[in-house]
Amino acid sequence: MAEINRYNKNSTRAKYARLGRALGVPLISKLLFLIFLLALVFGGILVFSCNSLGWLAIGVADLLLVLLIYINLLFKKVPLGKTEDINDILSSNILSILGSDPTPSKIAKSLIETRSGRFLALRFGIIPRLLEGVANDLPDDMTPIFKTARKIAKKINASQISGGIIAIAIIENHPNCEEILSRMRLDLNDLYEGITWYNYLHGLVKNSKKKRRDGGIARDFTFGFTPLLSRFGQNISASRSGTMKTQLFRASNQEALTQMVDIFSKSGRQNVALIGPDGSGRSTIVNAFSELLLDANSKISKNLKYRQIFKLDAGALLSGTTKQGDIERLVTELLNEAYSAKNIIIYLNNAHLFFEDGVGSVNISNLLLPVIEAGRLRMILSLDEQKFLEISAKNPSFANALNKIMVGPSSEEETIKIMEDQVPFLEFKHKVTFTYWALKEAYRLGDRYVKDLAMPGKAIRVLEDSARYAKDGLVFGESVSEAIEKSEGIKLQASTDTFEEKDKLLNLENLIHERMIDQEPAVHAVSDALRRAATGVRNENKPIGTYLFLGPTGVGKTELAKALSSVYFNGESEIIRIDMNEYVESSDVNRLIAEGSSDAMSLTAQVQKHPFSVVLLDEIEKASPQVLTTLLQMLDEGILRDTKNREISFRDAIIICTSNAGADIIREKIRSGENYETLRSEIINSLIENRDFKPEFLNRFDEICLFKPLSKDDLIKICDLLIAGVNKTLSPQKISVSLEPEAKELLIEAGYDPLLGARPMRRIVSKTVENIVAKASLRGEISSGSTLNITKAKIEEELK
Amino acid sequence: MLSAGLISWWYKDGFKLFAEKIWTKLGDTVDFFSIGSLLGTLFAPYRQISANASGTSIDAKFMAFLDRLVSRLVGGVARIGIIIFGIIVIFLQLIVSLVSLIFWPLLPVIPIICIFLSFSGVTIWLK
Repeated sequence: MAEINRYNKNSTRAKYARLGRALGVPLISKLLFLIFLLALVFGGILVFSCNSLGWLAIGVADLLLVLLIYINLLFKKVPLGKTEDINDILSSNILSILGSDPTPSKIAKSLIETRSGRFLALRFGIIPRLLEGVANDLPDDMTPIFKTARKIAKKINASQISGGIIAIAIIENHPNCEEILSRMRLDLNDLYEGITWYNYLHGLVKNSKKKRRDGGIARDFTFGFTPLLSRFGQNISASRSGTMKTQLFRASNQEALTQMVDIFSKSGRQNVALIGPDGSGRSTIVNAFSELLLDANSKISKNLKYRQIFKLDAGALLSGTTKQGDIERLVTELLNEAYSAKNIIIYLNNAHLFFEDGVGSVNISNLLLPVIEAGRLRMILSLDEQKFLEISAKNPSFANALNKIMVGPSSEEETIKIMEDQVPFLEFKHKVTFTYWALKEAYRLGDRYVKDLAMPGKAIRVLEDSARYAKDGLVFGESVSEAIEKSEGIKLQASTDTFEEKDKLLNLENLIHERMIDQEPAVHAVSDALRRAATGVRNENKPIGTYLFLGPTGVGKTELAKALSSVYFNGESEIIRIDMNEYVESSDVNRLIAEGSSDAMSLTAQVQKHPFSVVLLDEIEKASPQVLTTLLQMLDEGILRDTKNREISFRDAIIICTSNAGADIIREKIRSGENYETLRSEIINSLIENRDFKPEFLNRFDEICLFKPLSKDDLIKICDLLIAGVNKTLSPQKISVSLEPEAKELLIEAGYDPLLGARPMRRIVSKTVENIVAKASLRGEISSGSTLNITKAKIEEELK
Repeated sequence: MLSAGLISWWYKDGFKLFAEKIWTKLGDTVDFFSIGSLLGTLFAPYRQISANASGTSIDAKFMAFLDRLVSRLVGGVARIGIIIFGIIVIFLQLIVSLVSLIFWPLLPVIPIICIFLSFSGVTIWLK
């Protein structure tokens, strides 16, 4: 077995490949051709001038011609051998660079000279430096590398062993292969996929050079003249002519294509309705169908061959007419023309636009329905499932008259394949190169953040958007993240990349405590959740964190949500606050999940606009049980459906519900010095027993945090925070205030209310300190740069 | 090595490759002229210009009939013209292909013939 993996430098293929490389085929070909022409002309002149030596020149020219053909057809690419021996299945490129005594290290240096080697370097980062680092100088190690290369070729159904396969084999044979690849966020399967991708693109380029047979000049001879359709429609068949063949990577799409051929080949209703969400590939199926019809070699019925597909666009028809009557006449003429021409299949893209009134749509169902029902004119309709249901509800005969083919979203594997197919076109359009990580990220982030489109459409859109964020012409995974961040207004994992961000995350508790006092368990819980989210170790199919804050009023529940938003979510504006006491009726559910266009302030509408937010549901205990039931899926899976049944993601939000339920017990037990954990269980049990919340609701939260009542010591700190707040407000005027200790004591005395927490304190500070500053300012007692000293007497005066 | 390899390749794989290329090109030309389709629809209307013609009167029907008749005649003439032109092109290409196929095995031998002709003193004298 080892013998068939041993490289033989003296094999005929190896010699030819080396010779081809040494000769430098393109240059030598041009030179030989020039000498051939000169010899032929010279010989001809001599022979025709009665000099028989001319035959020798012609003989030389002939010899050169033979050599020229030989070199071009054989040396340019030495054909594969016929045995399983490694020397017969190595590509001519590899054979040409192997030389007489190859070692892994030598070959690692040269792989960049092969196309597949360059492909892996550019798109997967398998650069020569990396390969040289893992390759050694032992000639005997070439045999195990060839053995691995053979295994890879077999696994991916490659007919030959190319430079790319050798590169992977070098890595795979290294003992720390997995570690090396993990550092690059890759695994072996990714690299195998890379070679399959390269082989596919290579095949596409090769096939594009072959002439496509499409019926020749007689193809359209017998069919009708279609001036109107040419003006108002788009000839899909003509637009696909000369382009690369549309590939259907999904078995379901291939099946849909077969069904279409079947339906149109037989007698019966000559229509097909492709029903599926936007972006699921309905147009791709129609493109593939149009190419199949024009393919002279396709095995389809004669009455379908060379038929052409014309797409009608509701917008174009509307812009071509002024009145409803005009459009009906125009459509009648278009359909007549298509019917008389005999080779036209009408394609109504977004067909619902022809069956409803509205902006950019026109209701001509009374005209189209009889045509569809009669089934004499071939038609393809493509529409969204929801729209299909709506039209069917209005016109039951519409649904009955159609041959429905369902088109669903693609899987991850299919989407990656489809993106790999589309990449050359996107690269040509945007003048960039997409790396493999970009494709993977486009799928992952597109699936998560792009709405109103299905796969593969959403991934392709993300990929296209990311072209703008290319670095040095290369689109990486980070470019895709950046595109998503910019378009969706969210913050992705890349936030941990900078030192400042890391520092902020590690010191979240301290930063939050700059704004609020104590409540350590709750502050820890939310900080931990954010750290997990930022480093990507959280469950991505749930919100970042879901918390229920229980405690008396004024102890910092809402303040913590605000502090969190301010510290981590770029300011307090990223907080979505809903007062649940406005949702006490079961009918309020509709208002809570209203669609954005009808109520911009509904929970779902706000989260759709700002998915990276703190969602604060205040006084949750006051909401109706139906509202709480509606929220279960949001807490559990991070998903809530709006009134239009669209999925709204809460997976990038922190959800905080606050409640005063059980506040009295908390206050009482804390005062009696009960342990926090014991108290927490007691409180949860009491909430269930008192039917404040159902167990399934409480069970959905990541953590239920108790907020303890504020002590006098806490109030001192709060007072300091409030005074610091006043100073911050006054800082633009360069004025500051300072309180004498007696004045502060008086403030705390006046502001302390165990039942109401910090709120009375805030009111007192506003009533005294802020008023004193305002009056002093009006009297001209303070100016820029000065500090106002507040005494106990001044406070007393204000408190009177 | 080179000459032995060349001769072996020339009369085996090379000839097969060359024949395949010639066959493909011939097929492309046949497809381009699509004579089968032209013959099958020889007198079909050239262009169905009366797609949106309306009316059921005898005059309208007669006019439509005349339109189609003229269209069929024009179609017939055009198709016959293309068929004849296509046949000539295909025939010429066939001859060139056959000559090329015959010439291919002779190419490596021609230098020997040329040496013989040179030493025989054969020339072409244009008067």
